[in-house]
Amino acid sequence: MGYKPDWFRGIYPALVTPFDRRDRFDEAAYRELIRFLLPHVDGVLAAGTTGEFSYLDREERKRVIEVTVDEVAGHVPVLAGTGAPSTRETLELTAFARDVGATAALVVAPYYLKPSFNEVYDHYRALDALDFPLVLYNIPQCAGTHYRWWTAEGMLLDLENVIGIKDSSGDVPFIESLVEKVYGQVALFVGCDEIVTAALAAGCDGAILASANLVPDVWQRIYHAVQRGDLETARYFQGRLQKLIRIIVNQGSTQAVKEGLEMMGLRVGHSRHPIMPGGAFRREDREELRLQLELPEVGKILPRPVVYDLGGREVHTQVPAIHQTPRRISGWAMKVGEGFAGPPFQEIAHVDLLIGLRDGPVGRAIERALQEHGPQRGCVLLEERPRTLLVPTVTIRTERQRHLFYERAAAGVRMALQASIEDGFLPQALLDDLALIANAFVHPAASIGKRVELNNYKAMRQAIRKAIEGRPTYEELVSECAAARHPFRYAP
Amino acid sequence: MRDYARFDPRGVFPALITPFQRKTEEVDEEAFRRLIRHVLPHVDGLVTSGTTGEFPYLSRAEKRRLVEIAREEAGGKPVIAGAGASSTREAVALARDAQEAGAAALLVVTPFFLHPSEKGLYQHFYELAQAVDLPIILYNIPQVMDQVLPRTVIEDLADLPNVVALKDSSGDLPYTMEVLEYCGDRLDVLIGHDEIVVPALAGGCAGMILASAQVYPQVWQKVLRLVREGRLEEARAEQRQVQKLSRIFCRYGGGVAVKQALALLGLDMGPPRRPLKAVGGALIHETRAEIRLELEKLGLLPAEEEEWAYPSGPLEERFGLLGLAPEAIATHGLWVGSGTAGEGLHRVQLDLIAGPKDGPLGEAYAWQLTYPQHGREALTTILEPGLTVRPATLLLPTLEQKDLRQANMIYGPTQSALARAIVEALEEGTISPLAMEEACMIVLATVHPRALDRHALYQSVYQAARAAIAQAFRR
Repeated sequence: MGYKPDWFRGIYPALVTPFDRRDRFDEAAYRELIRFLLPHVDGVLAAGTTGEFSYLDREERKRVIEVTVDEVAGHVPVLAGTGAPSTRETLELTAFARDVGATAALVVAPYYLKPSFNEVYDHYRALDALDFPLVLYNIPQCAGTHYRWWTAEGMLLDLENVIGIKDSSGDVPFIESLVEKVYGQVALFVGCDEIVTAALAAGCDGAILASANLVPDVWQRIYHAVQRGDLETARYFQGRLQKLIRIIVNQGSTQAVKEGLEMMGLRVGHSRHPIMPGGAFRREDREELRLQLELPEVGKILPRPVVYDLGGREVHTQVPAIHQTPRRISGWAMKVGEGFAGPPFQEIAHVDLLIGLRDGPVGRAIERALQEHGPQRGCVLLEERPRTLLVPTVTIRTERQRHLFYERAAAGVRMALQASIEDGFLPQALLDDLALIANAFVHPAASIGKRVELNNYKAMRQAIRKAIEGRPTYEELVSECAAARHPFRYAP
Repeated sequence: MRDYARFDPRGVFPALITPFQRKTEEVDEEAFRRLIRHVLPHVDGLVTSGTTGEFPYLSRAEKRRLVEIAREEAGGKPVIAGAGASSTREAVALARDAQEAGAAALLVVTPFFLHPSEKGLYQHFYELAQAVDLPIILYNIPQVMDQVLPRTVIEDLADLPNVVALKDSSGDLPYTMEVLEYCGDRLDVLIGHDEIVVPALAGGCAGMILASAQVYPQVWQKVLRLVREGRLEEARAEQRQVQKLSRIFCRYGGGVAVKQALALLGLDMGPPRRPLKAVGGALIHETRAEIRLELEKLGLLPAEEEEWAYPSGPLEERFGLLGLAPEAIATHGLWVGSGTAGEGLHRVQLDLIAGPKDGPLGEAYAWQLTYPQHGREALTTILEPGLTVRPATLLLPTLEQKDLRQANMIYGPTQSALARAIVEALEEGTISPLAMEEACMIVLATVHPRALDRHALYQSVYQAARAAIAQAFRR
């Protein structure tokens, strides 16, 4: 029968596997990531789902496990992801993990071909013979099979070396069934970031999380708060993280975590193809992830000095900079930015933005527009500092559209301006010199005002940053040109 | 006991919409009669209070009244009454009403909302079959019921003398084939999914109950005849020409989309009942515009012809609407290029102008974004949302876009093909890294107002854009 070791508790990051520009395992970057995380974690998982195990060849997986054990050097336990579709390959990898000194193996349900429950049971029984601690791993959204509680119960309690289960299904009733059946006998770990507080409160011993690559310290606070019965604090911090983790869990975990780490200054590269930037991890979510990492309670992206070169005049500002933020920014005649936020479809926001100087093309266009057509053509002067013209992309026809555009979308754009003044992208020293034209789209069938407002806030905030930072970059455009998916290119 | 074989389900039956009056949402009986008179010559019978007829929004009395009206108008053709309900009790009441009102058969959907077990499902239809003396058509539509009527249950129900058919709207052909395999000797299967009529008939379905059979019943009569005669190639061609409309009716709006199609054909059936919206809900504006064009293509609606032309004359003179006269273009050394590609409806002309952001072109660019020109809105060129091309490029249609579908041709295929051509030129070095930072472009696009094939349009725009960029940046 299984058992529950004392060491198996707390917060474990499911480590990403860094790749270099030539798509090879970047060992140096991986070691750096482990050193960055070690002070804030109770253990690590190597070559898990977030570690893109299914994209690593057998030798690479072994190397990743080996390097992890070496770099962690006994400070915390090391779980090694060793699951594979066949029992044969899983046996080989698990034996390897045992031999190089990993603490336990995390073994995903055999996937792709769908073995029956008794075939799955025998898969784990074969591994049990290796005499090495095993953690079962339920992740039906990837593996395609959901353990039932009776299978899990059988495997957890009958097999000698099973020490616990990681459940990433997000299925709280399933976790409650496990608590009912095996609580205290083996370890229960939650792997779905969105429900950690609930799962810990239900009785889980810890969490193995993709987002613990980014915010392990916040997860520690949550874990310890639940352990001492302080649910109020746990809920508060879970709430602070919820948007960040929803982006990661729902939208392409590996790429999202990697881009987050890159924004924090850790070089980990991209996911291997076919996962790609701007794919499952949508471009607008990337902007949102960045904002979440800037939150004071999270504090992973900090303000850094940037110089705005206005040709003869320099303005110094501090912005939450990422690797793509130039340290010196020129070309202020006219900067072009675009922002997009959704869903829902009818309430999507799309902002075409121009930022320039008041005595340049943008400023002159605003003055001319105010003189020549003004409100009757739909444009309004939204703010004086910076001088901002708000323009509807499509002609406003109905009262409802009028309300949604001039009140709700306008409020969102205004909020974005305010936030961009506060975060330093629109420096106080430049507010009298800058001119902005925000051309914003509100769908004629939009109805949810709050969404129109928030989506326009997000779209405008993105557009401001992208215009100033000169994004998308040449590399982004060229590398994604062929695969770009324009949503309106196809027939219904 | 009656001879249930007298009712023959092997034909084309429209699942009629239910017309409502504006404001009051009352059933519009006159409109219903008009609709029936319109379709009757082309159909083998009528179906009232089906899914397309918004049956869950109708009262018992209304459902009964629809059967009565249909009987009066049907000229002896059979009326199939929708008698589906969540509870057996209500389904039986509806079935008795329908029998009294003169229905020839009942269409009874799987009980919904609460999900009974197989036993419950069997009992539901069994009680119903006992309660009335009418042929019963079972009805499987899991996409709205969230439950499949199991083949094993149908197998047993088929032994009841008055269970004569199954209407299968699932679109799940393996399921349809399984029912035919086990029950085909005892009941007829009617296809209820407009997108797969030909394969379903070829596989052994006897007829059809379709939403689209009130919009283009003649097409379906032809399909039925062709398949019966074994002329599959011709049947496929018929199916293919209504494929997009059938898809829209099945997936993007259901009865709401059918009402819009009927309205375009001159049959105003009013709005759906709330919470459904006539347009702007499940049926979006773009799709409504698409329906119109498809009806034109089928010859059910005359095409709207209008006067327009591709811009001609010296290239430098085509940018007047941007406030850029030939002299200014020459003085400031702006770069121009033009490209034309494609045939017929998909012939496209692009006139392109490029220049530094801090010059007259930058002024024109900023100016274009200060007001919406109705039907000719300027758009920033993107590969996809979030991937704005560089140099920054505005796309302007030269012709006014009359509806959202036309606009969609510009901001979908045209925009994305132009974006691809620009980024490729950047990668090839035709557009320099310096120009990427310091220049901007405006592209005037002339696209045929009735352009229909997005793929063909995309290819034309891509070719035209390559040519225009090559000409403008050839230095």
